[in-house]
Amino acid sequence: MELTTARFKETAQVELDNARTQKFLRLLPIRLSARRDAAYRSFADPEAAHAYGHAIRGEAIERLPELLKTFEANAEANGALVFWAADSDAANAYIVDLARRKGARYVTKGKSMITEELGLNDALAAAGITAWETDLGEFIAQLLEKPPFHIVGPAINIPVEQIRDIFMARGVLDTPTIDPVTLGRAARRFLRDKFRDLRMGVTGVNIAVADTGTVINVENEGNIRFNKSSPRTLVCVMSLEKVVPTMADALHMLRVLCRSATGQAAGAYITFDSGPRREGESDGPEELHIIVLDNGRSAMAADPHTREVLRCIRCGACLNACPVYGKVGGYPYGWAYSGPMGQVLTPALRGLADTGDLIRACTLCHRCKVICPAGIDHPATLLYYRHKDVQADPQMGGRGRSAMERLAYWGHAFVGSHPRLWRLFARIVRRVANRHAHDGTISRITRRTEGWFSSRDLPLLPQDTFHDRWRQGAAARKPRKEVSS
Amino acid sequence: MSDDARNAILQRLEAAVPRPLPSRPALPPAPEKALDRDRLQALFIDRLTEQAGVVYPVADPVALLETLARILAEEQVARAMVASDEVVAPLGLADRGRRHGVEMVTPADYPDRDRYVRAVFDDVQAGITGVDFAVAESGTLVLVHDARQARLISLAPLVHIAVLPAERIVPDYETAMAAIYAGECRPGQITFITGPSMTADIQGTPFKGMHGPQKLIVLLLTQT
Repeated sequence: MELTTARFKETAQVELDNARTQKFLRLLPIRLSARRDAAYRSFADPEAAHAYGHAIRGEAIERLPELLKTFEANAEANGALVFWAADSDAANAYIVDLARRKGARYVTKGKSMITEELGLNDALAAAGITAWETDLGEFIAQLLEKPPFHIVGPAINIPVEQIRDIFMARGVLDTPTIDPVTLGRAARRFLRDKFRDLRMGVTGVNIAVADTGTVINVENEGNIRFNKSSPRTLVCVMSLEKVVPTMADALHMLRVLCRSATGQAAGAYITFDSGPRREGESDGPEELHIIVLDNGRSAMAADPHTREVLRCIRCGACLNACPVYGKVGGYPYGWAYSGPMGQVLTPALRGLADTGDLIRACTLCHRCKVICPAGIDHPATLLYYRHKDVQADPQMGGRGRSAMERLAYWGHAFVGSHPRLWRLFARIVRRVANRHAHDGTISRITRRTEGWFSSRDLPLLPQDTFHDRWRQGAAARKPRKEVSS
Repeated sequence: MSDDARNAILQRLEAAVPRPLPSRPALPPAPEKALDRDRLQALFIDRLTEQAGVVYPVADPVALLETLARILAEEQVARAMVASDEVVAPLGLADRGRRHGVEMVTPADYPDRDRYVRAVFDDVQAGITGVDFAVAESGTLVLVHDARQARLISLAPLVHIAVLPAERIVPDYETAMAAIYAGECRPGQITFITGPSMTADIQGTPFKGMHGPQKLIVLLLTQT
């Protein structure tokens, strides 16, 4: 998938001006947040359940190599084939080759951010194999060539008229309609044909269980179940951090995942796959391929700060809590992962070179950190990235500061550590600034400071500094009795 | 190639300096565990109904078959696919169906996989299955797939009718999974079903039957 994070501001402006986006953003995150809060209250002790989830994810990221080896051994004992992919190219090449060997002219896919990250659809298309997204929202987004707007509702912002037109153009719909249910039914019929004669399905993985070698998927539509049940070949792609130690841990994470994502106690369908179909079964895959994807994650684990990001379970709760996402929506985040989740993941996986605005689009309000069922400290992580960026960290591709900015900060530090210079400087700045005052407020000084003033004003600066006034007052105050030490 | 990648990935992960594992806070026991059978059953019905499932309690197999016949008539089912699991197999549905003008088929009636798949996709209006467990905490049906419980029967037809003996209702997921994994062989697939197939992907308008069943009907057999 193309990385468009460099256009964050530009895309954000377009979305801020888009009345439809704004209408959905006024409803969707608030509704999902309220449902999440209500669902959490069904826990006997919501805070303990939240903290317990943090502990499971915290343990998983510390025990990664051991858990992955255990997972691999158990998955293979179950009859699954485990492939370790260092990067997107390796994973894509494996899937393309497999699809060719199985004679698949097309494959179907369950909604998975990991295959968005891989850019799998493009890789398959290049090999002449069509990849059909089968989650309704992803299907619409795919036809319109749009990135996901929200992890839970990838195309929820798209006008019905636009869906009608693209469905008519692609032969999904026979008679034009703007009824959402009729449009959904048309997609059902269209994709059902794909599922019936399917040779190979591709899904992501929500949770992998080390102790049992099981991969787990959560959904509401049933498309993932079709992907896992109908074809003879099934590929499950998991990012390597998805593993948890035990089935009991997985069951707890399912409880917090479903509540955090959609406010449900459980998604309509949760499937646990331990290997391919067994002898004598009527359906289910004859081959289950599990791809363990690194793509930069093992490097993330080396640094304790970025290792924390590997806790993420992709529930999307942080999107609904974020005041920035709540204004700009999913498009500006420019890759597979949006919201605070994307702000901490994308720079770690793709470097800082193009993500300078992404890591700064945060007010540090901490709502994402509070709501996160995995225990990620997003604001601290973003401060860490900003630090790495200004330090021009070579590993993360930090950009450093411009010569002008470096000079300004050096000057600021120098003046600030020399009191006389500081007082002189402050006196000059007061004079200059006050010269631009109108009716007691300063709203512009020079072109260079326009950005700062675009959303705030300064009051007229007083003639005397605090120190001046303190000294003037000292003369008037009674001399205090010295207390000997 | 994969071996090299595997070793390189594991080496990098092993080079990361591990920190002490976080301690796990005490979790209170699931409140469902304190409920008696009647209240557990009532809770299960409430939770599944909240998720748009429909539950019909039936007192005995005779009442079950009567209710089933009524539902099949209401849903205008001419042909249904039936699993051959230990719950529905003893009900003798093929004979019963014939008397009511409903053809009951099983995957074994088809000569190969492709023809069974076509049938379950296109030729049946309902799928009838037993249930291995039902979980009260979320109103969830647990189906263990094996030679007698095909995966597509509870998925491809527009109506899924599940037969649940009341004694199979358990308080939480852990109880169900411990029982399933206690067996010698791990099942290839286990499915948790909590309501019909759902989506709200177009403009947030919710509707049922997106890919899977539009209706989930549970016949809850309270006495056996």
